[in-house]
Amino acid sequence: MFKKFFIPRMIQYFTVLFIGITLVFVIPRLLPSDPVSTQLHRMTSQGQYLDPAAVEEMRETLQELYGLKGGMLQQYFSYWKRLFTGDLGPSFTQFPTPVIALIRMSLPWTLGLLLASLSLSWMIGTVLGGIKVSFPNSPFSKATELLAMGIRPIPYYIMALVLLILFAFLFPVFPMAGGYSVGSKVGFNARFIKDLLRHSFLPILSMVVLEIGGWFLQMRNVASNLVEEDYVVYAEASGLPKSKIVFSYIMRNAIVPQITGFGLNLGFVFGGALITEMVFSYPGMGTLLYSAIIAGDYNLIMGINIFSIVGVSTAMLIIDLLYPLLDPRVRYQ
Amino acid sequence: MKLKSAVFLVLVAVACLSLSSWVLAVEPPRNETLIADILTGKVGNPGNFNFWATWVGNDKGLQQLVIDPLWMADYVTGEIINVLAAENPIYNDDFTTLTVKLREGVYWNDGVEFTADDVVYTVTLSMATPGLGYHTQFNQNIAEVVKVDPYTVVFELKEPNSRFHYQFLDRWGACRILPKHIFETAEDPLSFQFNPPIGTGPYKLVEYDLGGYWFLYELREDWDRTVTGMVYGKPAPKYVKFIHYGDASKKAMAQISHELDMADLTPESLQVVLSRNEYARGFYEDFPWAELLHPAVTGAAFNTLVEPFDNPEVRWALNLALDAKGLALTAYDGAVAFSPAYIPALLPYYEYYYEELQPYLEDYTIEVDGELYQPYNSNLPFEMAEEARRKGYTVPDTEKEIRIMFGYGWWKHSPEIAEKLLIKNGFSRGRDGKWLLPDGTPWKIEIVCLTTSTNPSFKWAFSIANQWSEFGIDCEAVPNEQVEHLTDMGDYQVVGGQPAAEPFGAGIDLYRGINVFKSAFFKPLGEERVGHQSRWIDEEIDGYIAQMELTDYNDPKNIELGIEVIKRLIDGQPGVSLASFPGFMGLDTYYWTNYPSGENPYAVPWYHWPNLKFVLPFLEPTGRE
Repeated sequence: MFKKFFIPRMIQYFTVLFIGITLVFVIPRLLPSDPVSTQLHRMTSQGQYLDPAAVEEMRETLQELYGLKGGMLQQYFSYWKRLFTGDLGPSFTQFPTPVIALIRMSLPWTLGLLLASLSLSWMIGTVLGGIKVSFPNSPFSKATELLAMGIRPIPYYIMALVLLILFAFLFPVFPMAGGYSVGSKVGFNARFIKDLLRHSFLPILSMVVLEIGGWFLQMRNVASNLVEEDYVVYAEASGLPKSKIVFSYIMRNAIVPQITGFGLNLGFVFGGALITEMVFSYPGMGTLLYSAIIAGDYNLIMGINIFSIVGVSTAMLIIDLLYPLLDPRVRYQ
Repeated sequence: MKLKSAVFLVLVAVACLSLSSWVLAVEPPRNETLIADILTGKVGNPGNFNFWATWVGNDKGLQQLVIDPLWMADYVTGEIINVLAAENPIYNDDFTTLTVKLREGVYWNDGVEFTADDVVYTVTLSMATPGLGYHTQFNQNIAEVVKVDPYTVVFELKEPNSRFHYQFLDRWGACRILPKHIFETAEDPLSFQFNPPIGTGPYKLVEYDLGGYWFLYELREDWDRTVTGMVYGKPAPKYVKFIHYGDASKKAMAQISHELDMADLTPESLQVVLSRNEYARGFYEDFPWAELLHPAVTGAAFNTLVEPFDNPEVRWALNLALDAKGLALTAYDGAVAFSPAYIPALLPYYEYYYEELQPYLEDYTIEVDGELYQPYNSNLPFEMAEEARRKGYTVPDTEKEIRIMFGYGWWKHSPEIAEKLLIKNGFSRGRDGKWLLPDGTPWKIEIVCLTTSTNPSFKWAFSIANQWSEFGIDCEAVPNEQVEHLTDMGDYQVVGGQPAAEPFGAGIDLYRGINVFKSAFFKPLGEERVGHQSRWIDEEIDGYIAQMELTDYNDPKNIELGIEVIKRLIDGQPGVSLASFPGFMGLDTYYWTNYPSGENPYAVPWYHWPNLKFVLPFLEPTGRE
């Protein structure tokens, strides 16, 4: 079991990590922009007077500081060497701030936002999808389906903007921007947590409302196929209670693809939610990654993507390892 | 089941109401707080205030409220303000020594006195630390910097340099002075966070958002020991908050709700604010609303190393194929101050340059098919005024006011002359009326530009492309995220943006704006540029710039030399020198009034400039709750 099941999966896991991390080293270097020129532009576009006579020498200095002077292979090896010591290098655009420090600043916001919205939408969507299939003709099920079908196609940014205009501008019950208020002392205290929740309410709501539809539809589709399976028909004929059939026979089987989807989405949280962050001016990894790409900040792009690669791969690995527990059929295979 | 649902719904409603109704007790009083937008957006590294090293978050209030330079340019009054320096820079006769006299009685916000030690330390630390913003320039120029007494610093320069002090002359960027007593405790000046920032400015940091969206500052109790207090008086707002709400539509919403006093908007969002907030105004109370006189000239630049833009007659033809009035109306509803001379339309430059140049421009001729043609239209500002009146806008009546608003003129729309120039140079029209290159292939022009649709780079690129298409050239504007890289490497034909570099906008000297055209900075295509993106150079200009370098920065002779350079630029037309950068600023007068404005232009009006600290004493609270 260990040899046949565990080892191949671990080999696959580490291979994916190696290829992914190598790709995130190579791909940013194919960008037409380079971090040194971007930094020089930023200095001048933010007002610094750069005498043209100094530009070339400054370019040399920055290249040296950023560690971009050696060949690609040399940089690649030192990149792996650094990685093994947990050092993602300095950000070029915010030199010499370590990439890990920037990620540390943004990641908690993203994790809070995306884990909350993903978990809520997954739970609500999955339960509603299951209810829909189990009680297809109830008014509640019909209304839920209508709502899910109606809301799902709305482009996310429209939904986000509508919520913002409604609840932050026309009826200003929630703040228009930011993660917390002026005067809020950052810390694990009730006052700050309340303020935090108030600021994250609209961003989370905007994501939950749309994502519920997706989870609902997926659950409904999978579960509706199961309703006609022989074992469900047999259970109904045997006179088992409806709740037993719904939870133990239909939803338990239908939930496996839902869990796979949940796990995959869990891995994606490290990339952030760019549109949400922009619309609600909410801090997070999305805007960090976006600005890194625009500025050609290789180290920062690599750092964020390494988190994503490790996140998605690990989530997949865990799901893969948990499948036998969730689905007895896998155990028997 | 029903009861459970009802209870659940009630709980949810209570939670929502409780979250929404909670108001912070410690939020500073709104009527004592000025709220301004962070122009460059969310701050990526909010806890790092060491902008000598990183240039991160320069606009988060640091340069506007906390840190001072030696000198500061004010492009509205044309003055160069002595800030930490007590007087103008003093050069010796051969420009190898610069003496700086410092103000006495200025204190850092932690109570330590500002002295020459701080200036010397700022310079020596920069020279010793690669990666600090002025490391290269200082090492190239400075042989030695010494403190003569607590209020006098002398720079010994390696080579004669009549403009070395420009490194310390703040124009939304300069080497500002850092506190020695703080930085000398830092192990590594590059990674030092400088948090909390200690400055000589009138405000100190109170709090900032870890997410990078807002920064709150409070007026120092000892504001009278700052340059702002000494020269201009007590700043009116007790607190200043810098905040980034998001794009222009969100800023508009915030301004309509009186939650943002000063904001950079788009023409469209400004109109929304004006229609929804009776207390809001633009830089002008009425048309053109925008600030039109700004120290950056915008339009487009040709890549003069690429055919056919290497031919000055083709560049002239392309300029004359443009209808300036049409461009201004399309891009900015006519709110434009024309700048045909590669220097921006500005009150000081009107006086020193445009007034002088006007007769020259009116008499300027180009030869086409043996005939002389006068391409300049000095009547354009009046045509613009008439057009604005026709649209129902209120426009001043006097010639002076109209010229202040719309500039001194631009080139006539002369498609027939453009046609003759192109035909003379071997171009022809195909059967479909489209222009063909001299080799008979279709002429296609691509204008690359920034992707920000509110930037003049974008706006002019699309308007120009439209007019050149109407003239018969297959032309399109292409927004590109990598436009800076393309122009750096010379991989473009035409770029929407700045046809010349930005001068200080104060004083008489144009050197900062024109030395980019020196042939010493020339780079062929494929090599990263050092000079101007047009890669246009001119031997005569080299001569004038060399003379400038041997002339004191404040010598009136610079005006003559500047005018000669401008004349060469007009002959060469390395770009489309259209107009000053129009800025659509929204100002809410609900809590504060007496902002710098078109009717009362007493200082630089932009809140992201370091000049803001000198504006704050002139703001007047309305007393509204």
